[in-house]
Amino acid sequence: MPSRILLPLVIVLALAAPFLTANTYFHHLMVLWMLFSLLALSLNVIIGYIGELSFGHAAFFGIGAYTAALIGMNFGLAGIPGLVLAAIVAGLFGFVIGYVSLRIVGPQFAILTLGFGSIIYTITNYWVDLTRGPMGISNIQPLGLWGEGGPALTGARGYYYLTLFLVIAFAYACHALLNSRTGRAFIATRENAPLAASLGIDVFRIKLLGFVVATAVAGVAGGVYAHYLTVITPDVMSLQYVAALIIMVIVGGRGTIAGPIIGALIYVALLEALRALGPLRLVIFAALLTASVIFLPGGIVSLWRRITGEDTRPREAAE
Amino acid sequence: MSETPILAVSGLTKAFGGLTAVKDVDLVLNKGEILGVIGPNGAGKTTFFNVIAGSMPPTAGTVHFKGTDCTGMRSDRMARLGMTRTFQITSLFPALSVIENVRAATYRFTRTGWMGSLLRSGAWRDEEAGVDRAAMEALEFVDLAHRADVNAEALSYGEQRRLEIAIAIAAKPDLLLLDEPAAGMNPEEGQRLVGMIRGIRDTGISILLVEHHMRVVMGVCDRVAVIDHGIKIADGTPADVVNNPDVIRVYLGREAVNA
Repeated sequence: MPSRILLPLVIVLALAAPFLTANTYFHHLMVLWMLFSLLALSLNVIIGYIGELSFGHAAFFGIGAYTAALIGMNFGLAGIPGLVLAAIVAGLFGFVIGYVSLRIVGPQFAILTLGFGSIIYTITNYWVDLTRGPMGISNIQPLGLWGEGGPALTGARGYYYLTLFLVIAFAYACHALLNSRTGRAFIATRENAPLAASLGIDVFRIKLLGFVVATAVAGVAGGVYAHYLTVITPDVMSLQYVAALIIMVIVGGRGTIAGPIIGALIYVALLEALRALGPLRLVIFAALLTASVIFLPGGIVSLWRRITGEDTRPREAAE
Repeated sequence: MSETPILAVSGLTKAFGGLTAVKDVDLVLNKGEILGVIGPNGAGKTTFFNVIAGSMPPTAGTVHFKGTDCTGMRSDRMARLGMTRTFQITSLFPALSVIENVRAATYRFTRTGWMGSLLRSGAWRDEEAGVDRAAMEALEFVDLAHRADVNAEALSYGEQRRLEIAIAIAAKPDLLLLDEPAAGMNPEEGQRLVGMIRGIRDTGISILLVEHHMRVVMGVCDRVAVIDHGIKIADGTPADVVNNPDVIRVYLGREAVNA
């Protein structure tokens, strides 16, 4: 019962939050939280639902960011068409990489994604003609509706509402997925692939579907990110972001919907709170991941279940 | 035979390098029949089973299911055609609840996927209700309805084996392959299993049973095939097979038969 009241309350709070302060830096942090939430939710489809670990997720985020930036720069389509293309291009990369990688599973798959991620990162760094190399792309236009001219989204508050909308929409899509035949096939594949196959589930296709959806959504997040910051460099694909995303999903609670969003909040909040510590923060995040895996394998959300005794994973997830 | 047999195996051979585990086996399973495949340890029963179920392609021979050639077809495609199996070693979705285990099995006959669920369509609603109903029915059949919300890993061994059967029948197959379902069961549980297998057949599902629990095989099968060293040496009613001198020599001779 508490979660029935909780969900509308959280949404109302999220809608009202930007008006609690006029501090634009606070708004900026909220946008980052939502962007990371969207990314963590998409990675959660891979880690939490199909049960594979991907070290390449930041690369798809980067592909989306670069697609949107280049489309905006070269064709003046800095808007919804750019975001759709970012999703399509990232999803296509996801399809090709998933198609060759998902035939093997477990640690080997994780290592392959690490390899592909590094390749994409390196290409982005060195293909100067297209990507301008390590300098990155700057002066990316703000997000318009259908491209240049017409209304454009500026200011952190606007981007916050856009990203909040995307997070809510994708969270709902995940919820709907889990309550469908397709979602049951995801979970069955994660839990016991041979048994899933014996029930008629095409394990490879299901994994590929999950991978493509996850990478396409990461592409959208990348596109919004590029328009919001107006500057991108190949660093968005670096291992630091890969690690950050995995930490968000696992510390928050893989296989759940609230988990990755809470994980993203913890990441953004700690990054700010510990700013004085500089690079030492990464050590703290690593420690957090280790502690979570040992003491809270279900992530932060599993605490909720321990406290209230309410099952937070109705059809959603296991440990 | 007027009706197409549900399963027709002909000349089935499976070799692993120099070892021929199954050699030129012919077997026919008619609709509504319970067919047992027995044989001493290492006779090739499990290989035979795995080749039919699509886990491994045969070296030679064909497998026809409901008249369709499905030799060497992958197990998920076999399942979609209507053939489901259980595993020799208990195979469940351990971290999911009992009811979720069975719900996953309805994949075969459900149609509305993610889109229907996103839009909360009427078809999706109806189908989800049907899924819940089918899952509960399967659980009631194996007498596990009262354990629906427990995690599968928390069940006792006997309950887990029953849950496997619930999963297999919730898929509503035409043919059910049971791989040593009585393994590790005590005589009382074995008797219960016999009743359950008959009940499954009464719902119109044909059954192929690989087993070496004699009491179970003799008690439930309409027909029994005996495999020894990969070769079928007998095929007939349980009474015929028990009296077949070859069978007595290679298999039954070694232990007292109590059919």
